[in-house]
Amino acid sequence: MSRSIEISENQRKFLLESLKHGFRLTDRPFDHVRDISLYLSPTEYGYVEVSWGKTKLACRVTATVTTPYEDRPFEGIFTINSEISTMASMRFDTSRSNEEILIARIIEKAVRRSNSLDLESLCIIAGEKVWEITVDLNYLNYDGNFIDVGCFAVMLALHHFKKPDISINGNSIVVHDINERQPVPLSILHIPICLTYSFYNLTDKESNIKGEDADEICLLDADLLEELNRDGSLVITLNKNRELIQLSKNGGLPISAQQFLELTFKSMKTIDQLTDLIKTKIKEHEELRYKTENFKLLEASADR
Amino acid sequence: MELYSPEGLRIDGRRWNELRRFECKINTHPHSADGSSYVEQGNTKIICMVRGPMEPAMKSQVNATSSTVEVNVSLANFSTFERKKRSKTDKRITELKTTLERTFNECIMGHLYPRTLISVTVQVLAQDGGLLAAMTNAVTLALIDAGIAMYDYVSGVNAGLYDQTSALLDLNTLEENDMCSLTIGVIGKSEKLALVVLEDKLPLDRLESVLAIAIAGSHRIRELMDMEVRKHGNMRLAKVSV
Amino acid sequence: MAFQVQMSVLDNSDGSAELIIGNTKVIASVSGPIEPKQRQELPNQASLEIIIRPAKGLSTTREKLLEDKLRALLQSIIIRYKYPRQLISIVVQFLVTDEDPKFTANELNAAINCCYFALIDADIALYSSFASVVSCITENKLIQNPTGKELSQSDSHHVVCFNIQEGKADKILLLESQGEFVQEELFNLLSESVSNAEELHTLQRKYLKEKIDQDYIWK
Repeated sequence: MSRSIEISENQRKFLLESLKHGFRLTDRPFDHVRDISLYLSPTEYGYVEVSWGKTKLACRVTATVTTPYEDRPFEGIFTINSEISTMASMRFDTSRSNEEILIARIIEKAVRRSNSLDLESLCIIAGEKVWEITVDLNYLNYDGNFIDVGCFAVMLALHHFKKPDISINGNSIVVHDINERQPVPLSILHIPICLTYSFYNLTDKESNIKGEDADEICLLDADLLEELNRDGSLVITLNKNRELIQLSKNGGLPISAQQFLELTFKSMKTIDQLTDLIKTKIKEHEELRYKTENFKLLEASADR
Repeated sequence: MELYSPEGLRIDGRRWNELRRFECKINTHPHSADGSSYVEQGNTKIICMVRGPMEPAMKSQVNATSSTVEVNVSLANFSTFERKKRSKTDKRITELKTTLERTFNECIMGHLYPRTLISVTVQVLAQDGGLLAAMTNAVTLALIDAGIAMYDYVSGVNAGLYDQTSALLDLNTLEENDMCSLTIGVIGKSEKLALVVLEDKLPLDRLESVLAIAIAGSHRIRELMDMEVRKHGNMRLAKVSV
Repeated sequence: MAFQVQMSVLDNSDGSAELIIGNTKVIASVSGPIEPKQRQELPNQASLEIIIRPAKGLSTTREKLLEDKLRALLQSIIIRYKYPRQLISIVVQFLVTDEDPKFTANELNAAINCCYFALIDADIALYSSFASVVSCITENKLIQNPTGKELSQSDSHHVVCFNIQEGKADKILLLESQGEFVQEELFNLLSESVSNAEELHTLQRKYLKEKIDQDYIWK
């Protein structure tokens, strides 16, 4: 008994036919991301809810003090937990499917392996005490593209999070409550953003492989229907400094190198937009907090 | 020890655009599999065996219009410098497995074998860089040996960028650990990419040069594979005629 | 005390609800009746699959215990004989919690109340409505709907769930108590909770009425 989502031939053909005529079923341009709505918790640092269209997830960052790994005494520990439950969709059954593992791997490569979080800044007492930052991704609603939304949510939550301030007395440390001393934001070295492109072959396999023309359709940020009917996908992770963090085209429809290069260059525009979105949202939130919690009274500097 | 000397020599004496020693054999296990191959790319050694098209073991694998490709990857405990026990459900292995399945699903003429299963087993004996590329090559050869209809060869190679400036072709482990590595799988003589995997940082503006050398390398590998296939074919033909 | 419910928030479930009660935010999804796995199938009634996910970290035995308590409650309130050989899958995800991890009272309370709305949204048959109330006793004083801080300073805490027939709390479906307390305190707490549960039920009816008005807006 399979819990996979079944799409009728009619729906499939309808989608491909409309793509052939140059429009998506939701009337979005091929290279546009869906509408994004963000919620940053006003009470808890590090909890965010992100929705891209109908795909919704919640992300939380927590920090605890622990002992570092023996072979890395100067670095903190950073883990990302991303488990998908059947709440998001019946497709993600209790047994871990390949799809789920791929999503977790790509987000891990994009955020953890690329050192977006400075692990050395998490060190408190070398070899004895370091911060352990844990990111929990809770997928709530699945409407395609968990990778991009997941990565975006992780970066937003990391920016939003502030760890408690600490003071060191010889060999013991004092962790100050957030109401006692202002908590400290994390040191984030760069902001990786993932973009998933989905490919559709409108002719047959042979013309795709043997043919000269690049006749494949390419969509950015596929929703559920588009994702189930795609012939291949490419995940490009870039940051604003024009650095490619990772590329994943795990098989799927072959595309020409020329088209591939064009896609990577075209992505920069969306990467810039999304990075700016994170930064402005965090800044807005900071200003709002400043006003509502009267931080001005806590400042010790004088107006010049 | 520098990986790329100012004279343009790498630690194993190669230049920036030279492949490692590529040896391949097909039909290495004629009795235990329908198709088999053995690939050595430098010190990376891989055995691949293909069984099929055959009756699927599970009802869930039956696809009415096309064959299903199932890949099993096994990394031997002694394949790396330090002996390490790996579980079959390791995330990295699952990713490699899924990548190979999705790549070959596109390149095999699946519509000729509906409702069947093609089972591919990849056994890695030694890892010295370019793992995914060598696996892709091994699977291509084994599928050809099994007589499964394919549109074209899928040849793989990896390339990297040293010191943000020089592109290097076909990296070994030492080089892979130190610089970013881009693995690609190219279809036949074209420039169509079936698979692209980049796992470390690479400046966007350098992508084109690294990709170009990798594509050239893949074409060369395809030639070498094709030579071996034809040689083997001629040998079989000679035996039959006798 | 904050109480806010939003129903039908998820697209891929038959029924779902997001509940904010006090400082706890929880989202529940109900899918059913659906095809069960072989090992889950029961010949003459529906089987329940309950999954609880914590707000922080991965599921541990703490969540397993909560699942067990929730299962005991839902097993008797859902008309399981109506859906033989089928599965009802319930997933509860905590989004925001305010209590120390060694307490589960607020979370259990929120999960029960949220499941009520999600089950109604999924059109699953229930024998009757139910409402849950959490309270704690600190130095002989009864505090209803305590915050995480009040819980950690309390002598005992209790979660009690009643079934509601015709607007009146009728039977106790679940009573989870932890801590030190005397019989008199418990009975006092139960009678206080009855009125709270009935109040909660009027709130439930209000939200349900709004939802139904919205759904049948063209009727």
